[in-house]
Amino acid sequence: MHYHAESYGNYNASTVRQNAAVDPLERVVRLASGSAVVIFSLSTCCMCHAVKRLFCGMGVNPTVYELDLDPRGKELERALMRLLGDGSAMPVVFIGGKLVGAMDRVMASHINGTLVPLLKEAGALWL
Amino acid sequence: MASQGVGQHVLSDLGPSQHHHISYAVPHTLHLPPNTSFINQEGSSFDFEELEEAIARQRVEINNDEAKQTFYTARQRAATLEMFPSWPMKFHHTPRGSSKTGEDSADSESALNTLASREDTTATGHRLRPPQPPETQPQMEMAISSYNPTTGSTQSQLETKPTPSKRRGSGSNADKVFDAKTLRRLAQNREAAKKSRLRKKAYVQQLESSTIRLAQLEQELQKATSQGFIIGGGVSGGNISSGAALFDMEYARWLDDDHRHMSELRTALQAHLSDSDLRIVVDKYIAHYDEIFCLKEVAAVSDAIHLITGIWTTPAERCFLWMGGFRPSDLIKMLLAQLDTLTEHQVVGIYSLQQSSQQAEEALSQGLEQLQQSLIGTIANGSVNDTMHHMAVALGKLTGLESFIRQADHLRRQTLYQMRRILTIRQAARCFLVIGEYYGRLRALSSLWASRPRENFIADDNSCQTSMNLQMVLSSPNQFSNF
Repeated sequence: MHYHAESYGNYNASTVRQNAAVDPLERVVRLASGSAVVIFSLSTCCMCHAVKRLFCGMGVNPTVYELDLDPRGKELERALMRLLGDGSAMPVVFIGGKLVGAMDRVMASHINGTLVPLLKEAGALWL
Repeated sequence: MASQGVGQHVLSDLGPSQHHHISYAVPHTLHLPPNTSFINQEGSSFDFEELEEAIARQRVEINNDEAKQTFYTARQRAATLEMFPSWPMKFHHTPRGSSKTGEDSADSESALNTLASREDTTATGHRLRPPQPPETQPQMEMAISSYNPTTGSTQSQLETKPTPSKRRGSGSNADKVFDAKTLRRLAQNREAAKKSRLRKKAYVQQLESSTIRLAQLEQELQKATSQGFIIGGGVSGGNISSGAALFDMEYARWLDDDHRHMSELRTALQAHLSDSDLRIVVDKYIAHYDEIFCLKEVAAVSDAIHLITGIWTTPAERCFLWMGGFRPSDLIKMLLAQLDTLTEHQVVGIYSLQQSSQQAEEALSQGLEQLQQSLIGTIANGSVNDTMHHMAVALGKLTGLESFIRQADHLRRQTLYQMRRILTIRQAARCFLVIGEYYGRLRALSSLWASRPRENFIADDNSCQTSMNLQMVLSSPNQFSNF
């Protein structure tokens, strides 16, 4: 599992301007496409901890973005909430750049057997 | 005790006319009417130490007087008097007829006024005396209370005995000749008697208050059971929130519905309905389960702790409680063992369902564990100045319980749906029947557990219940293998 605080990564003037101009939703999409499994999380949220444990338990190495530790995390959070149409958005999981959803969607897909093929397709899981 | 020994000896000499319930030493020539009850039947307020004292004094007097030949007669006449050796002498002369009960106090002579007033207290039934100068009060009250109102003859005996009172005169000198050892022993006995009186009083008071409390509790219980559910709010004094009470009520109704659905499934399977008809019954059963999950979702918002602690389930179910309900992987394991007409493909599917469920359960458990640890930290770290803030934070964290219960119920629901998908319609019908029967047996086990024989147990009532429960459990035959 590797954590990203996005703003620390590309810290030069041009990038900052570039980042500032980007619509939060676009940022979300961009970040989500960056890795096989992307989790948008809050460091204090225990359900986020549960979803992280789920993926680690399956042997997957997700990329985690702690939005409460990101200076612009609030907008990302709001964008995600709008995306899901749900008030309590966190955690939000993307696999292979595609939106899976919040915790209940992840669980449901795991139970009905669609999660593992999705992970394999994204290259996050071998075997 | 010596006096008791004497008493037993004396009692054996008493003729049949001496009809009393005396169990202590009474000089046997007391001629009391048959229904005299010497003993204060209410308790042990007859103090043996007073009797002992009397006898001790008697002995001393005898020794002093050296009138052994007149001992017997003197004993006869002085017997009753010697019961109350420390009465001031003047009382012996006065007619004691009025001193027997409170109602006679109108007759009192001046000397009897105090006596009568003391009697009032005893006449009211309180045999427990306040600690007063032990030498005079208790003995007199004891003596008075021992007497039945009808002991007219006794009084006359006493009244017509000027001689004993004269002897009393000499006897009072004899009193002072008690040796130190006797005095000490007598004092100790008095103290012991006083203590036991006080203890008895305390015990009686405690009993009375407990009886009242018991009556109150029984009343509340009757009210609650007649209404079929536990009353919420502060009425019964229980800590059940209205949301929890509402859920308990709905759950009870759901259980009744469950019985109905179960019998429908059973008859549908036995009737060998067509697949489409069976599907209708099975879908109805799934909708029935959806119902309880919805109810739990609502209850989780109002009282997550009520759900997660499993108070609403039966004891045996509570043993296996996981996050406010059944553990899906346990249910799947049970079903794998019970459903025998599975294809290999189905078995593989169910195994992978079991595995996914276990992983999901593990993840949720770890999430809940982190919530608990965080809560512990918040509660422990609250400083004196900051308590309210920490409490608010802790409360916020507690509300996180709701989301875990919701996810757990979601998992349960998904598991049931997936089972339905893997199995054929007939197998699914059997599967749900097995689940329903399993929980029925688990609940029956809870009843048996609750009514199991224990030592402080009214055998008749509950052995009936136990055998009834056993019949219930055994009556549903091994349905699992029929289909």
